Amino acid sequence: MTELLQLLISGLTIGSIYGLVAVGFCMVYNTTEVINFAQGEFVMLGGMVAATAASGFGWPLPVALLFAVATVTLIGLVAEKLTFGLSRKPEVMNLIIVTIGLAIVIKGAVMMLWGKFPKDLKAFSGEVPLNLLGASVTPQALWVVGASVLVMVAVGFFMKRSATGMAMRAAAADRGTAALMGIPVARLSTFSFAVAAGIGAIAGVIITPLTMTSYEQGTLIGLKGFCAAIIGGMGNVYGAFLGGLILGVAEALAAGLGASGYQDAVAFLLLIVLLLVRPSGLLGGTGRERIVKL
Amino acid sequence: MVHRALKLAAAAGVALLMAGGVALAQDARPYKIGSILSLTGGGALLGERMKTTQEMMVEDINKKGGINGRPVKLIIYDAASDVTKAVAATNRLISQDEVDIISGAGNMSGLALAMKPIAVRNGVPMISNEGASGIVEPIDKSAWAFKSHLTDREVIGRAIDYWKSKGITKVAMLSDTSGFGTSARDELKLQAPGAGINVVSWEEFDMGANDLVPQLTRIRAANPEAILCWTVAPSGVVFMKNARQLGMKQILMHGFGYVVPKYMEMAGEASEGTVLVSLRFPVGKQLHDSDPTKKVILNYIAQHKAKYGSEPDVYGAEAYDGMLMAFKALEAANSFDKEKIRQALEKLQFIGTNGLYKFSPQKHYGLTKGDAVVMEWRKGDWRLLMGAETK
Repeated sequence: MTELLQLLISGLTIGSIYGLVAVGFCMVYNTTEVINFAQGEFVMLGGMVAATAASGFGWPLPVALLFAVATVTLIGLVAEKLTFGLSRKPEVMNLIIVTIGLAIVIKGAVMMLWGKFPKDLKAFSGEVPLNLLGASVTPQALWVVGASVLVMVAVGFFMKRSATGMAMRAAAADRGTAALMGIPVARLSTFSFAVAAGIGAIAGVIITPLTMTSYEQGTLIGLKGFCAAIIGGMGNVYGAFLGGLILGVAEALAAGLGASGYQDAVAFLLLIVLLLVRPSGLLGGTGRERIVKL
Repeated sequence: MVHRALKLAAAAGVALLMAGGVALAQDARPYKIGSILSLTGGGALLGERMKTTQEMMVEDINKKGGINGRPVKLIIYDAASDVTKAVAATNRLISQDEVDIISGAGNMSGLALAMKPIAVRNGVPMISNEGASGIVEPIDKSAWAFKSHLTDREVIGRAIDYWKSKGITKVAMLSDTSGFGTSARDELKLQAPGAGINVVSWEEFDMGANDLVPQLTRIRAANPEAILCWTVAPSGVVFMKNARQLGMKQILMHGFGYVVPKYMEMAGEASEGTVLVSLRFPVGKQLHDSDPTKKVILNYIAQHKAKYGSEPDVYGAEAYDGMLMAFKALEAANSFDKEKIRQALEKLQFIGTNGLYKFSPQKHYGLTKGDAVVMEWRKGDWRLLMGAETK
């Protein structure tokens, strides 16, 4: 029983990160209908910048973390302006491919500038594990789950209730009409990208004390977060987070119950199964409108 | 009539000049040593260390006048820890660059194993600095493949020696799914029963894994006395951290792919007391003066420090010995005939940084089990636990 609990804790921890990445995907998708494949790289950047600020510059941890999130948000903003902002044909398909290029550029730049060796961050409140009904939980895991849930709630609230959130969803539903209604679509697109980058950075800084970070970390995390977003229903923030948790737990259970070498395959297997059974995702709509658009 | 004769003479003259030119070029043609390293991807850390040492050695030997009076040219390609890329790069080295010998097979066993059949098929001598025993065995399929150091068979054997010396009988193995990890896993499966070692748990992980709690939970339930982790990837750091987080008290061990101080530092307190099986190099300064490798080790360290300002590590040392093998074979063969170079390799006997090398037509790896040492990471440095048995 404690074994199962241990696996669950492990799964929920990494699942929260997948959930955050998925929320980042939703943010950009809900505003522009584009799937931002550079989302994983923002996670990696968050961890990298924080690690450099903390150990390289020697800044105190909270300062380093804030700096990392702020910097990566700025990078997201600039990246959007230089890619989406400059594209003469802002069609969804084109922009998706642009984000793939962006991801590769970021990864390569980090490899050149930071080298290949992984970097680590000190745990926020120490590493002494707590005992939870026989299973051991590191304080950092609590930070991860807690911060992720907070971000998810904040983003969900923002998207559903605030005027800007509604404007973003309008822009995604029909860019032309929204623009005619006075909604600043271009600015919202930049805003969503920047916020998604910030969310990614938060994910990066909270998980790095547990997993370390390196220039390669972003790719797989991005792909798995993408799977999570699809599993939960692309566009629904709560669904995306749920998808992440499900994915994390499935991975941990798979590894814990025998197939430890195939851990990475679990995400993609789940994706295939879900797309066959319920293509709109767990909490998504009927999906008809999406298919028409694409 | 005269025009025709003149034209013929001119043509003949040009042809002779060209032939002469080719002969001249052949005479000044450098020895070409090809090297495949993983400079990106999971094996990147080791690859970088090998590259700097290889470049240093080639530069050094060219300063001294080259081999047999000929300069040496080093051609390095990045296989990015990917088998497909390694295969493509090897074909390029052989057919496009026309190298005389290959020293360095991807610094990952999986890549070396994929490169071997290409070297064998094309008749190009290949010196591998990688771990898996399959690289030089079976000998009838490995005529052109050589190894610069131990195979995992010897290292696992030495780990078993260590366990026996401590009275440990129950162990667990946590290996990665790469060629390096699976080869070691197979070796332990083979050797454990005969040595009276009971492996109570076999777990695996992908090279990019950043959470090993599920595997360790299962291992904990099986209650081993020691856990042997086998990888070169950063996941090995997660192994140590997770194990201590779970409150596990077993001896944590790593294979000879993990002798990297930075990895130990990243694991923080969790790496204190981690036991590793390794080649001599990291504890070179702790060796007895009577050990003949000590002088070679100190010399190499000084050379590296003078050029790069930092001390090399055991992976650089492996590349050093691998390059030394290439140099000595080329010198002894004194020919571009690859078969002569191959035969020279089979007769090699020399003292490298990692032991006393002795090759033979039946044995294409130069070291023995006694060249492996067991050491632990204590207070920021390696400490020798079980020394080498010198020949």
